[in-house]
Amino acid sequence: MKYTTFNQKTTDTMKEPMFFGDPVNVARYDQQKHPIFEKLIEKQISFFWRPEEVDVSKDRVDFQKLTDAEKHIFTSNLKYQTLLDSVQGRSPNIAFLPIISLPELETWVETWSFFETIHSRSYTHILRNLFSNPSEVFDDIVVNEEIKRRATDISKYYDDLIFYTQLYQTRGEGVYTIDGETHEVNLRVLKKKLFLCMNSVNALEAIRFYVSFACTFAFAERELMEGNSKIIRLIARDENIHLTSTQHILNLWMKGKDDPEMAEIAKECEQEAKDIFLLAVSQEKEWAKYLFKDGSMLGLNEEILCQYVEYIANQRMAAIGMGQPFNVKGNPLPWMNNYLTSDNVQVAPQETEISSYLVGQIDSEVASGDFEEFEL
Amino acid sequence: MIVKNEKVSVCVNDSTRFSFNNEDSLLIAMEKQQIDVHFHCREGFCGACRTKLLSGEVEYKVDPLACIDDDEILACCCIPISDVEIQTY
Ligand code: FES
Ligand SMILES: [Fe+2]
Ligand SMILES: [Fe+2]
Repeated sequence: MKYTTFNQKTTDTMKEPMFFGDPVNVARYDQQKHPIFEKLIEKQISFFWRPEEVDVSKDRVDFQKLTDAEKHIFTSNLKYQTLLDSVQGRSPNIAFLPIISLPELETWVETWSFFETIHSRSYTHILRNLFSNPSEVFDDIVVNEEIKRRATDISKYYDDLIFYTQLYQTRGEGVYTIDGETHEVNLRVLKKKLFLCMNSVNALEAIRFYVSFACTFAFAERELMEGNSKIIRLIARDENIHLTSTQHILNLWMKGKDDPEMAEIAKECEQEAKDIFLLAVSQEKEWAKYLFKDGSMLGLNEEILCQYVEYIANQRMAAIGMGQPFNVKGNPLPWMNNYLTSDNVQVAPQETEISSYLVGQIDSEVASGDFEEFEL
Repeated sequence: MIVKNEKVSVCVNDSTRFSFNNEDSLLIAMEKQQIDVHFHCREGFCGACRTKLLSGEVEYKVDPLACIDDDEILACCCIPISDVEIQTY
């Protein structure tokens, strides 16, 4: 079925599934099949922020004070996050928009992607301030083996879905041999690819950022790199809302509240979906190992970071009916919560000038002794 | 929001029982009792404070956006409007 930018057929979007129904025509939100997406759009837009509003100039001085091992941790995390947001800034649009059938979901995906581009722009803002030539950092992203390995697993489900959608929308169902490879294209196959892709995106939004977030906030606990930390708090808040959206999509399918065929596929691919999540978890743990290869940083070590990943993974897997596979009781990094709450994230100018604003708030809740216990 | 004269009681994990003192949210009320509840956003959109509602009724102060089951509530943005029994994860 050919994609059209304005489907001239009269459709009733209240009866369409989220994906693979009729292409959207009128961008209308007066009636919504799944009103949650309109609510997420409103919430996300209310979070609008600009990287340039956050003063990161003090970070330059802090950065010089870091040990080489800490510089490696800091810069590597920025590289990894740059990769993640490069993918997320384009892929939901390219992979999902051509197959979406609901206007509120279409607009949600566009809003979501737009915020990912803000994240990407914020990395340039941070790096320009730290390095006279940030291109060395950016250039390494496509050659660094550790990052490349993750990039493959992140992009392959998107790429597969995009390729099959292209075949389906230009040639229809059938079996095609392209460059010596045979591809069986039909709606069922496409829906399966969509399901796996959504699980991969869900895992990305759920845990792929958290090792990096923890390092950033551990620096901030020591009153270092606070401009960066402020930006990452804003990013973390956005990522949480993106995650909520993918959880809603997956649950709507699994609970049979959308396309009944997707409910079947969800059952059929249950293990595969779980494996996608677990692979992301183990890759995050490997990332922690890579970060600390030259030495730890104060307040964090590989072991506690891995426990935190498991703690987050438990919560997020439970949210989509995957149970809690890891044996962690309680939050191993309780101070993280102070950076993940929404209420005191603001980019008011007076606040960015006084970097102690946030720190003061956090200090009052976390005794400094809490922090000294961690071993390097 | 309904202003209550009579206090409602909250029972958590079949063990802790306390009366709701018109705190801003069920989450705050539980924290006052030193009950360990997960949270991140405290604004109803992340789902970290997901809690099972075994009996009773709650009312939301902001629209809950996070993904929860029919028998679950978001403790960070609701208050009990009747006696409730809840179970944390
Ligand atoms: S803490 Fe985020 S939804 Fe309650
Ligand atoms: Fe992002
Ligand atoms: Fe995201």
